[in-house]
Amino acid sequence: MTEITRRRLLAAAGVGAAGVGLGGAAGYLVGSDDAQASDGTGSVPFYGEHQAGIDTPAQDRLHFAAFDLVDPSRAALRELMQEWSVAAAEMTAGQMIGDANGVELAPPEDTGETVGLLPSRLTVTFGFGPSLFERREPGLKGSRPAALAPIPPLPADELNELESGGDICVQACSDDPQVAFHAIRNLARIGRGTVVMRWSQLGFGRTASTSRSQETPRNLMGFKDGTANIKAEDTAAMDRYVWVGNEGPAWMRGGSYVVTRRIRMLLEVWDRSALEDQEQTIGRDKYRGAPLGAQEEFDPLDLEAEKGGKPVIPVDAHVRLASASANDGERILRRGYSFTDGVDQSLGELEAGLFFICFQRDPRKQFVPIQQRLGSNDALNEYIKHVGSALFAVPPGARQGGYVGETLLD
Amino acid sequence: MNRFSVRLSLAALAVGLVALLATGCSEDAPPGAKKLSFELTDAGCVPNSTSAPAGPIVFEIENAGTTAVTEIEVMEGDAILGEKENLSDGLSGSFSLTLDAGDYTIYCPGGSADEGTLSVTGKSDAAAGAPDEKGAIAQYRSYLEHNTDELVEETEPFVAAVIAGNVAKAKALYAAARIPYERIEPVAESFGDLDPRIDARENDVQAKEFGGFHRIEKALWEENTAKGMAPVAERLLADVEELEQKVKHVNLQAAQIANGANELLGEVSASKITGEEERYSHIDLVDFEANVEGAEAAFEAVEPLLSKKDPKLAKEIEASFKDVYAALKPYRRGDGFVSYTELSKADTRKLAQEIDALAEELSQVPAQIVG
Repeated sequence: MTEITRRRLLAAAGVGAAGVGLGGAAGYLVGSDDAQASDGTGSVPFYGEHQAGIDTPAQDRLHFAAFDLVDPSRAALRELMQEWSVAAAEMTAGQMIGDANGVELAPPEDTGETVGLLPSRLTVTFGFGPSLFERREPGLKGSRPAALAPIPPLPADELNELESGGDICVQACSDDPQVAFHAIRNLARIGRGTVVMRWSQLGFGRTASTSRSQETPRNLMGFKDGTANIKAEDTAAMDRYVWVGNEGPAWMRGGSYVVTRRIRMLLEVWDRSALEDQEQTIGRDKYRGAPLGAQEEFDPLDLEAEKGGKPVIPVDAHVRLASASANDGERILRRGYSFTDGVDQSLGELEAGLFFICFQRDPRKQFVPIQQRLGSNDALNEYIKHVGSALFAVPPGARQGGYVGETLLD
Repeated sequence: MNRFSVRLSLAALAVGLVALLATGCSEDAPPGAKKLSFELTDAGCVPNSTSAPAGPIVFEIENAGTTAVTEIEVMEGDAILGEKENLSDGLSGSFSLTLDAGDYTIYCPGGSADEGTLSVTGKSDAAAGAPDEKGAIAQYRSYLEHNTDELVEETEPFVAAVIAGNVAKAKALYAAARIPYERIEPVAESFGDLDPRIDARENDVQAKEFGGFHRIEKALWEENTAKGMAPVAERLLADVEELEQKVKHVNLQAAQIANGANELLGEVSASKITGEEERYSHIDLVDFEANVEGAEAAFEAVEPLLSKKDPKLAKEIEASFKDVYAALKPYRRGDGFVSYTELSKADTRKLAQEIDALAEELSQVPAQIVG
């Protein structure tokens, strides 16, 4: 039987750069420069202290999925996380899943659509939702962190239950959309009989930069988004706002909590509002990205500045309400993606918006109060609806030979 | 009838099987196998006709420089028993079959003389198939014949009611005739156009060729009449009788039986759970259960083979069959099921997920029981 590998096929196809990235990937000895190469050759190690896909410089594409357990036994869940971790490690290294891909009579283990594609900085990040801990089986009630409290109803929520929640989440990010899709598809297949997919979301473009090396991208409203985001290089901020420390159960140390919100943008309404209204709504210059009243994108917000007796940055501007100073100094790591899912059949309008993702140390102190403030007062609410919501505890990374979730399940 | 072409037809499976035997497990042919060599030329296959003793036969084919012919098929009547495709200039390949005495067709499409005869004589010795495989084949053959007999028995009164113009009676008898067919559909599909004649949906075939069960179903439920259906009904009965005769001579192999189980679950996913199969009568859950029963019978036939190789998988599959039946249970009404139209999206989603879980496991079986 001929052994088939993504690598061999790449070499055969004569992909010039493949040798560099893949050579490194094979032994997980990828240096930080290689890992960050966004030309496809970069490969992000799966194993490590923290799960990848949080402090990794945000990749261009997303496929996010939430699953529900159908076989709730502890043994089945453990086996699932073990198999998922092995497969995720193979995929992030740019390898095919499994070893049975050339048996004539068997369906190939890997579905095959990434053969010939580069690792493309794929990261696969797993999380556990509150509902997983509420089930009688697998008996995790006692391990539930207090920080994993369900998100309370928030102002301006219009949530659809089938686009919300879930027992387990998988975030797959890559610079190649097919590589991200392939990850979710294959993990869903591996999980059949143990989990079923509850909802999934594709994101076609990143709306956040999580590294100083990255340009700030624009969201679908045409504004730079995430200028004031936490950057991975700021390790003090990562430790203070993102990584779980000694608080709560030991199994979450080095982990984080992710909140996702499917935010539908009413683009047709937005597009017919005047430039001045748009800028007043956001609180930034549309093209330069600078805060109103300032010159450059990264100039600090001057929330005190007034002109003609009125604040330069309006009291209901999005940047003001989302700023750390308006939120008792609290910040979150944003890692969202723009999405579109065809036409909203009831309106005949584009079904599009922001799939908001944020990581933090404690959602009760970070996302929830921030969104309570935004949901009540943000001028942006006129143009958006929150239609999906989910929260997951993201455990620490897996050691070589271990698996994600080992700290909880063993 | 599957709207999509069946991913891995029984015939193609036989080829996959022999390819594995030839290259995967051993470089050697089955013990005592007769070798037959063919060359592909512009004329077709050379030699065009030949003979061999009954038992295992290895077909070795080489393209001797033709672009007109790239394929060889060994057929029994309309059924393809084995084939090798895509042999372009300079390529060679092989496959093997175990054949009983009789005349078979060697078909090399594209050649100027594209058909020849393979005469197989004598008696096949006991080397053909290990005891478990023989047992699997015998058990499944008996199931197959039982169901084609039942198909004819149940189709007769249904056809009679249609011819008599008794719409109410025909409607009442329809489901019972569908069940035995849906249990063994993959085998019916191996006989050329017999499956489309019996089971095509309206969009599967050209309008003038639309006959069989679903043409009558459309008349009874959508048009509420049996008018004009007598010739269709007579043809249907003749076709199921032809099927009953043909299955008696069908060549079966264990991996083929196991793959038939996968095809049946593929049918459930593609057309039963979507309500496309019985789009006028909405008895899709009846077909759903029949497909699952057929898959289970095929699985049970090969289960002893599987249990030797992978007992854990065998146990998992047994449990998953139970899960599927349990998921169907709430929709059972008397002898039948609720109409497909009564199912909510959440209902069909749950059923589809149960089938996906079972089918993922079942798809591992053919490779496990060969080699």
